[in-house]
Amino acid sequence: MKPYGLATETCAPDKVPVPLFDEHGRCMPSGLTATAHARTRRYFICTQPEIDYGAIHARIKTHLGIADALTAAEFETRAEAIMQHLRNDPATAEMTRGVAVPFFLPQASYPDYGAALEHTYLEAVKNAFADKLPQYDFVNHHRDGLAGKLDIVRGSRHDKLVEAMRHQSVVGVFFPCLSEYSVPAAIEQTGKLPAQFMLAGGFDTCAALIGSPDLLLRTDGYPPLLWLAALAAEKEATGYHFEAYGYNLTFNRRPHFGQAAEYWASGLVVLD
Amino acid sequence: MISIVETPDSKLTPAERAKREGLRVRKPYVAAKLAAISAMEERGDISPIIRLEKSYLCNFQCTHCSAEYYMDRHKEKVFKIEDARRKIDLADIRELSRQADELGLARFVITGGEPLVMKDFDEVVAAIDPEKHYIITDTNGWFLDDKEAQHLKSIGVEKVQLSLDSFIEQDHDNFRNKPGSYKRVMRAIDASLDAGLNLLLSTVLVKGRAKTQEFLDLCRYATEKGVGLYVSYAKPTGSCTDHPEFVIDKEDADILRELEKDYNVFTHMTPTYGSFKGCITVKGIITVTSTFEVTPCPYIDFSLGNLRETPLKEVLARGMRNPWLGPYRPDCLIGEDPKFIKIHMEKTKGVTQLPVPWGQGFSDADTLCD
Repeated sequence: MKPYGLATETCAPDKVPVPLFDEHGRCMPSGLTATAHARTRRYFICTQPEIDYGAIHARIKTHLGIADALTAAEFETRAEAIMQHLRNDPATAEMTRGVAVPFFLPQASYPDYGAALEHTYLEAVKNAFADKLPQYDFVNHHRDGLAGKLDIVRGSRHDKLVEAMRHQSVVGVFFPCLSEYSVPAAIEQTGKLPAQFMLAGGFDTCAALIGSPDLLLRTDGYPPLLWLAALAAEKEATGYHFEAYGYNLTFNRRPHFGQAAEYWASGLVVLD
Repeated sequence: MISIVETPDSKLTPAERAKREGLRVRKPYVAAKLAAISAMEERGDISPIIRLEKSYLCNFQCTHCSAEYYMDRHKEKVFKIEDARRKIDLADIRELSRQADELGLARFVITGGEPLVMKDFDEVVAAIDPEKHYIITDTNGWFLDDKEAQHLKSIGVEKVQLSLDSFIEQDHDNFRNKPGSYKRVMRAIDASLDAGLNLLLSTVLVKGRAKTQEFLDLCRYATEKGVGLYVSYAKPTGSCTDHPEFVIDKEDADILRELEKDYNVFTHMTPTYGSFKGCITVKGIITVTSTFEVTPCPYIDFSLGNLRETPLKEVLARGMRNPWLGPYRPDCLIGEDPKFIKIHMEKTKGVTQLPVPWGQGFSDADTLCD
């Protein structure tokens, strides 16, 4: 077996190579028609934020205004169970060696994804960032509003997260492990992974950043840009993303044209 | 700022809007092209500024000059060679202008060397065509008095980028190896503004400078003067090859990013009204050398092609499909990426005729990993 899957290889879903992730937790491109870099020099990487379940729990509870949140102990137990489950499977064990960000989301349903993202989740990211890093700023550069502009991408499995939220609060772990994938390749790759893996969208990525506002803060190098790859924007080949600017955090929109870039990454999410 | 007029009117300050309106009246074709840049970028087209290095003649010999190795004086005195390569002429510039116009490109910067010592400067401006392109000139300010500033305006130059490398007179003069140059810059600032030219101050950031009081004072001065301060990182190319200690680290870059919040200071990677371009190689800038080679930025001495052999459109496409250059990265490739810096230093070492041709520096076979 090659150390890295090549983007041009063909690979049926039932013949997914084992392991699925490299020694740094990166999901290896496998049998993709869309563009992803087969190898990475790991120049744009996230560093693991501190996992203090109590602090993460408090931030998410406070900034999303969840009155009846699960307890911090329950959050920790459920998130650790996800990690242990992944560690126990040889196909996914390597994933846990990469950056992993536990989060939870409230029981909720929204008539419009974009409006909820803008008014509830991005506001919470802003407040959590200001709380944890008061000397720096979170800036939403997209001033034209998100209401009515976002749809869940078919095949991303993000609809499962949204559906789960309708019934109960959910606990998950966010992995920024689809590094150097084009957005179409991130979607395609998700479809080749076992069903437990979902492509990250808006609510989950925001929850990860609310709980760990310093996820994209690096002083010794550059973190990647994080696409909300599970969300289709109002215009084809365009997407929304988080990106560091120095020590600051930004939210913005840009065309991606289906290209892969060393700087671009998407996230996978696993729920309990 | 490099990308000055590509933003929707609604996002501009009143002063910026007035400048744009003035351009619309004087040069409607240029204004229309500039206004179309945002839509071009949204479609995935690029609109780089073209830096034109017709001549490397210069009356200065600066410590950090990126063009020194392209200069005849260096080739003759240090390399002991005569560069027999064919140089561009006014017909070449007219052809470049035509091709650029066809692609919707709208901006030229005349650079060098010191443009204002070029005997044919006015002819170069005419060959670019100020009715078709927004024309900017770099200058060290030595010859930029009231009369020269008014002349530049009269021939169609819209903007001046004036180098000021320290707010401390002696330090600037030392860095530029030219006594009296600081005073000439100060004169040139007033002359440019009085002549109605748009003005940008340009300064080189060497390691550690972002933390100094001098740099803070310069930021404050530019802001109070209503002039943008464009900061270029020192790169390990040209004369700076001998000064690796000048190359900044991420801390310097991040300090500067924080200063952007309070002062009218920016780099080529500063977001413009929320538009993030990151490293602008090819996407936001190209350099056309005196031998008609195209490089992706002023500091990368690898060619993407020669315009005598390859149309500008294909040269730009080569750049955009190169993994180092396209489509987007947040840092300065030649100023910050150690791996690329190493490759660049190895491939340019001992080369007496820069840039390194297409296929020998950059090529379609490039990869980011070994």
